[in-house]
Order: sequence, then structure tokens, then C-alpha cells
Amino acid sequence: MPEKPPREVKYLATLPVNILLNAVLIIPFAIMIYLAFLKWSPAMGMPWWEAPIIGLTNFARALGDARFIAALGRTALYTVGVVAIEFFLGLALAYTMLGDFIGKKAAIAITIYPLMLPPVVVATIFYLMFQSYGPVNNLFLRAIMGEEALRIYWFLKPDTAFITLLIADIWQWTPFMFLIMYSALSAVPKRLVEAAEVLGARSFTIFWRVRMPLIKPLIVVALVLRGLEAFKMFDYAFIMTGGGPGITTETVSMYIYRTAILYTDISYAAAMSLMILAMIIVIVRAFIWYFFEKGR
Amino acid sequence: MKSHGTRILLSALKYIAIGVFVLWVLIPVAWVISLAFKPYAEWRVSYFIPKNFTWNNFVVLFKSEAFVGIMGATAIVEPVTKPLVNSLAVTSFSTIIAVMIGFFTAYGASRYNTPGPFGLFFTLLTRMLPPATFVTPIMVYYSNLRLLDTHFGLIMLYSAVTVTYGIWILKGFIDAIPIEWEEAAMLEGATPIKTLFKVVLPIARPGLVVAGLFIFLLTWTELLFALVLTNVYAVTLPVHISKYVGAVGQLYGPQAALALIGSVIPIAIGYAIQKHLVTGFTFGMVRG
Repeated sequence: MPEKPPREVKYLATLPVNILLNAVLIIPFAIMIYLAFLKWSPAMGMPWWEAPIIGLTNFARALGDARFIAALGRTALYTVGVVAIEFFLGLALAYTMLGDFIGKKAAIAITIYPLMLPPVVVATIFYLMFQSYGPVNNLFLRAIMGEEALRIYWFLKPDTAFITLLIADIWQWTPFMFLIMYSALSAVPKRLVEAAEVLGARSFTIFWRVRMPLIKPLIVVALVLRGLEAFKMFDYAFIMTGGGPGITTETVSMYIYRTAILYTDISYAAAMSLMILAMIIVIVRAFIWYFFEKGR
Repeated sequence: MKSHGTRILLSALKYIAIGVFVLWVLIPVAWVISLAFKPYAEWRVSYFIPKNFTWNNFVVLFKSEAFVGIMGATAIVEPVTKPLVNSLAVTSFSTIIAVMIGFFTAYGASRYNTPGPFGLFFTLLTRMLPPATFVTPIMVYYSNLRLLDTHFGLIMLYSAVTVTYGIWILKGFIDAIPIEWEEAAMLEGATPIKTLFKVVLPIARPGLVVAGLFIFLLTWTELLFALVLTNVYAVTLPVHISKYVGAVGQLYGPQAALALIGSVIPIAIGYAIQKHLVTGFTFGMVRG
């Protein structure tokens, strides 16, 4: 195959994707950078290109905005919490399912079921599960606590509302970790494990010293991809708690959405978006360096 | 070596652990299925099998009516028909666009390294960054272009944010096609474009199907963009669900029925491409 692409193939391979990404993503992105330095809201009655430039005021405001900082901290806590729990659950489950057993195919098919559901549907499911007469109270807690359980209102207290969000996320995305860990563990060559067994290593040692080092790159991929997804979280909070009670379960995504849509404070929302983007790009860049460039 | 007894104990523990996890997955699903077929009087009971089986929860969803008097919930809800048709149309068109553009780009990337490594990583960024950070400028941009609440606007946006998956999934498939076949076609006098369409495209068809179904799954489930960019005319199914569950109060039965309607297509697609789910979700970084 020639090194240089024929002209028509080159155009076909680069033009459509460039047009699409430029028209739909790059131009709005450029607009956003400009908006962040303006003082503009549609309510001001002028198009955004005529609005006054106020420099870094929006960014300074974000740094002093307790609601923004709280949402950021809450989203970070949420991300770390769900990713850690999902990782350990997924890894344990993948390890348990590694060998052959009766009904393995069915068990895997059921395990990955939540992964395919739309997040809005998962949010609806757990909205229904955690109603005061839902099965969580009416079936499980009632068996332990008696009639008291029916008076638990999960969505009316900040802590319990936050827990329902964690549970919804863990329910839906543990299968994601499971799938990656399972395909990683299955790919570990059998002869390595058998060799270690012959040498008398215990199964814990084999897991820690033989399997883990081999699947480490995939663990990094899984953690980073899941972490980025969890940080985006919007659907569960929007449907299950509405960010409430009050604003106590509001995530960064929700706060930006509300600033832009409800409060129509466009330029402030743009400034916050840029700050979040900068943070994440640093993390993604480090990830790409670690995974693709180090040692090549 | 382990004794016989420990081995039996270990395998029993294994079955119990797997059983517990299977129940943890199944119970919420079972509850929603049961709610969807229960009449109003049974929404607050603890048993799962409905005593008086009813289709009414589904029927209600397709009617436009004010829910007055059911548990004090008063709301006028649009029938689910329009969001369902909108979702099908928007998702299908944007999937086709994303897969075709993804295919051309993947071919260039696989055979000629065209966009360069930086260009390919740039496409990854569009998927890794939170959609919420793009919502503000896209709303402003679309309102200037008068694309708000149109199918066309949604289709373009969805193709742009999912084309990454098209590129990365298809690149894996095209990399696996022996390059000699194309060279043979070119020696026979086929132009590069003809080779692309007559040789590569037919062989890569399974890849196109997998990429298409995966992108369909992702687009079908997307909420935030549709929530911001649609209002009345182009409302999609996730937006309809979010309005229905948030605002209508405690209409458990119809809400559960709606959740079931929203999950039929993604579940069918998910099991059809079960083997490729890992590849899809990790942009081909992990082979399934």
C-alpha cells in the first residue's frame, strides 16, 4: 500500500469528519470561550456579540461560589465512591466467575443486563424502588425494623438521597467493571497460572503476583473511563432527587445545566464549563500519556 | 493441596455469591415489571405478582389526558407516541451518519494514517468530556441558527458526539482485513474509491453493524442534550421519561410501564452485540 493516500481517499477520510466536528462542536466551543469573558444573558435583550467584555470576573465568581465548590466536591466524592466500589465488586465477581460452573452463560447474561438500560430508565427503577412503600422499605427494611421502615423517606434527607444515587450508579455500572475485568482475566495465559500452581503458590499469591500485573493496564483504562463517566452524572440526580432536597445532591453537571437553562446566566455557565473542561483535559492528557506514550 | 471438604465449601460459597449478585440485579427489574402490570390498588403492596393483571398502565401512556384524581396527581401529559417516533427517527439518522463518516475516517486512519495520532485522540476528547460543559454554547449557537427543537439539529449533534465510536470500533475491524486484497483489486485496475466501496465496505459489513448498533444504543439513551435542545416538537423518549417521572408524582404503574417501553430496544440491541460491548465501551482499547 502506498504511504501517501490517493487524493480522493484522503478527502473522503478527512473532509466529512472535519465538517461535522467543526460545524457542530468546534464553532460552539470557540463561542463558549468568548462567552465566558462576557456579561451576557438572553434577558439583556441584545445578541451575545454585542455584550460587554468583563474579563475574568466570571471565573473569579466561580471560585467564590460556595454552591459551585460544593457541587464540585460532591461530584468528586460521588465519582471516587462509585468507581472504587464498582471496581472491587466487578473484580471480585469476575474472579468468581472465571472458572466453569453450571449456568455460567445465564449468570453472565443477567449480570450485564443493567449495562444496556438507558440511565433514565435506571433512575426510574430506583425512584420506584425507594418510594416509602417501595420494596426496599416494604420488604427488606420492614423485615428488620418492623413498621418503622414505612416511614423512611429516602429522597427527603440529603444523606439518604445521596445514597440512593450511589446505589443506582453501582447497580448500573458494576457490570461494566465486571466485563472489562472478566475479559482481562480470561486473557491471562493459562500456562502461567499452571506453572505457578506447580511451583506451589497459593491462589491468593497467584492472583496478586501473576494475574494482577498482567491486567494492570486494563485496570487503568477501566478506572479512568468509568471515572470520567461518573463525573458527568446528570440523569440519576435529575430524575430521582432533582438535585434535592434543596440543592444537597446537585452535581456539577446539574448546576451548570440550571445556571444556563433556569437562571439563563449563560456567560457564567460558560466560565464554569471551561474550568471543568480544563480540569478534565489535564486528567485525560495524563491518562493518554500513561497508557499510550509511556514506554513507547 | 486443598482437602475435599474445603473444595466443596468453596464452590458452595461461589454459587451463593453469584446467586446474591444475580438477585441484586433481578429484584429491581422484577419490581418494575410487576408494577407495570398492577392496577392502582396494588402499587403499594409488598408482593411482586399482580393479583389483578392489567394492561391499563400501558394504555394510559398512549392517551393524552389529565391525570386528575389519581392520588392527587394533576398533570397533563402528552402521549408517548410522538417521543417514541422522534427517538426512532433521530437515533436512526444520526447512527447512519456517524457510521458512514466513521467508516471513511477509520479507513483513512487504518490504511494511510490520515488524521494523524493527535487527530484521533482529539475525537476521543469529544466523548470523554462531560456533555454538560457543551450544553451552554450549543444552545446559544443553535438558537442563533434557529435549530432549537428541530430534528435536524439533534441529528447533527448526535452524529458529532458518537462518530468517535464509529471511528474506533471500525478501525479495529478494518485493521483485521488483509491489505493484499485491496492491492489485488488495485492491480486489476480498480480506482482507490472503487476498492473502498467494492472490496473493503462489503468485508467490513459486520463491523458496520456492530458500530451502528452500539451507537444506536448510546444515542437512544442520551438525556441531557435532548433536554436542552428540545421543547415541544422534537422531544425524545428520555426527555419524555424525565418529565413523566419528575412531574407527575406518584403514578407508579404508568411510570414503570414507561420504563419498560424505554428499555425494550436497548436490551434487544445489547444482547445482539453482547460480545462486542467491551470493545465498544472502551473505544477498542480492550478487546472483548
